[in-house]
Parts: sequence; structure tokens; C-alpha cells
Amino acid sequence: MDDRITIKVADLIGSPLCISAEDGQKVFEKVESLLKSGKPLTISFDRVTMLISLFLNVAIGQLYGSFREEEVRSLVQVNGLSGDDMELLKRVVDNAKKYYANPKGYDAAWHGEEDEDEQ
Amino acid sequence: MKLDVGTIRSNMDGFNSIARIGKETQNMNLGSVRWDFSRCSFFEANMAAPLYVVIARLRNELNDVSVYNVSSGIERILKKNNFLTVFNMTSLPDNNQTTLPFKIFKLHAGEQFYDYLESYMNGRGIPRMTDALTKRFRQSLVEIFLNASIHSDSKSGIFACGQFFPQKHRLDFTIADAGIGIRENVRRYTRKRKMSSCAAINWALTEGNTTKTGNHPGGLGLKLIKDFIRINKGKLQIVSRYGYYEFSSRGASVQKMDYDFRGTSVNIEINTQDTSSYCLKSELSSDDIF
Repeated sequence: MDDRITIKVADLIGSPLCISAEDGQKVFEKVESLLKSGKPLTISFDRVTMLISLFLNVAIGQLYGSFREEEVRSLVQVNGLSGDDMELLKRVVDNAKKYYANPKGYDAAWHGEEDEDEQ
Repeated sequence: MKLDVGTIRSNMDGFNSIARIGKETQNMNLGSVRWDFSRCSFFEANMAAPLYVVIARLRNELNDVSVYNVSSGIERILKKNNFLTVFNMTSLPDNNQTTLPFKIFKLHAGEQFYDYLESYMNGRGIPRMTDALTKRFRQSLVEIFLNASIHSDSKSGIFACGQFFPQKHRLDFTIADAGIGIRENVRRYTRKRKMSSCAAINWALTEGNTTKTGNHPGGLGLKLIKDFIRINKGKLQIVSRYGYYEFSSRGASVQKMDYDFRGTSVNIEINTQDTSSYCLKSELSSDDIF
């Protein structure tokens, strides 16, 4: 018997627009609590009409701060995304893995120019 | 106080002119300023959004702002896109359907902004474009709007408008805010108090860099927009404080402006005849993602 749980994102956030960080956080918290109990789950984007990276960073990218890559890979699946949105999610996931590998790396490496003329 | 408004196009000169107007009225309060349009031979309608940044700051200080000597041609354009309603003038119907009208949004009105795009991009306002292009364009604009919501700290909201130029097959859309600017955000985050506006824009455009607080990654939005603009052969302009950034098929450049634009403005110009699919990789499955 398949005990995989499906999270219907549009139902959970009450909107087909996956754009805000607040809604992303709501999805993240739901996914996080299920993963903590080791339950396999599918995040369904059926009926979603707009999806942006900000939402995905919070909803899914953030998982890599709480779980190991292998855990996410073995327990989480997604469906209902078009090909270009799958590419977007892939970019978000790759970015998140880099971020959590070295969260402050970019900042520490930055040696931008200074300009005394600006107030 | 009377001030000349020169010709305003979506380029560095146009943004510099708007910043100059802001600079000359920076310390006014409870006053009156009249903008003279007699030397304005052309006003690209999408530039109404950054111009409103100056108006919003003046009105915050309870100044009266009015316009005069507006030529009939420019008046027609700015009435069609509703901009002149901010001066209590009437609007005109946009029979040619080339405008996405000027609108002021509350800071956290992301869903309303999406509805606005939906309303004016479905057979109204802009030309028929491929579904893939329409989707990437909307996604880009919503990313920019949400960036402004999160980062700008604008007390006056977010200003948006767009204009289709049929003969050039180009559509410009500009989102502006009268907030703290990219420089202040990046200075606060990096604690580099002397970072210049240009350096701050470069920092913000580096993939993975974000000033968002909270324990989650970010910093992809502008990179994705640049990828889109590269394929589309369009143009991206980011103006914030003294910094002017432009990216197009000819390359990227950041320049220091003569005047301080006290806010942030992002303009996207797209080639509306683009037929790219925007799906670059072969089918990704769920197993390839994580």
C-alpha cells in the first residue's frame, strides 16, 4: 500500500499563485513536519498558475537547512510542474545546496569598491 | 518653484533627468513645485513610474506638484496610461491598446499586481506573444515586484506601468519604489558602510547573494531575469541611488549617475516577437531535482 502523502500546494495556501514568502513558509512548515517523522510525500503543484523563485526558495530550498540531501531525495517528490517550472525548481535546489554548504561564503568573498563621493 | 522636465526616455539620460528633478526639490516641504514640460520633446510612458518616485517624496513632505506646457502629443500618451490622473487630470481611452496603465500598489499587494498583469496582458494593452514568452515575462515582473515588497521599505508603495512600442516590437515595463535603495540594503547586510551604489548593484546581481533575512537561500530572481533577457534579446535596467545598470545582448555595464535617484527602478524591455521556448533542458523528472 502506498502511504505517500500528497500536499496540494494550491489548496494549502488557498491560491493558485505561489509568489509570496509567507505562503512558501506555510508549505515549508508542512513539509518539514512530515519529513521529521520520516513520511514520504509528494508536493503537488496542480492548479498553480504562477510560481516564482522567491516562493520556492522558502518552500523547498529551505529544506536543505533542516535535512540531508539524501533524506530529501528519498522522501520528496514533486508533480504538476511544467518543464520550465521544473527547471526553475532545479535552479532553486542547486542554489540551496550551495547556500547551506557555505551560507556566508558569498559575503566573506566580497571585496566591492567603495566610493567616498556618495553620502 | 518651477523646474524644467527635459526629454525622458528609458536610458541613462532619462533616469539622470528624473534624479536631477528629485535633487533640486530634495529639501522642499509645504511648498509648491511646477514642472515645465515645454522642453520635453518625448516622454516614454513607462518612465512615469520612476518619475512618480519624485512626486511621492514631494507629496510626503506635503508639497503641491503640478505640470504645465505639456504638448498635446505627450499629454495624450500620459492620459492614456492614466499617469496624469495623479495631477487630477482626466484619462483617455487607450484605443490602440498599447499601455499597461500607471498604477500605485501597496507594498504587499503581490496578488493584486498579478491580477493587474493578467488583466492587461490578455488581449489588452500588449500584443499577442507566445505563451512561453508571456509566462517568463510575468514571472520576471512578479519577481521584481516581490523584491520591491521585501527590500524597499517604501512608505509610498510600488509604482508600475508599461508601454508597447508597436513599430519596434518592444514592450517596456517599469517597476519603481521610493524606498531605501539597493545600496542601503547591501550596506546594512554586508556592514560595508561605504559601498557605492554601483558596487551594491553588482553585489545584488551576483547569484546567491541576497539581503533577505531569515534562514533560507535566495538571490536567484535577478539572475533568472538576466537569463530570460539574454535569450529574448531584450534589455534590463536597474537604477538605484547613484547606480545605473544596463544589461542587453551588447553586454552589461554599471555607471555612476550624476544625481541621486532616491529609490529603485527596474525596467524590463522585451522583444515581443520572440518565439523561444524557454525550456532549455530535456525533460526533468522529479528524481532529477533533489
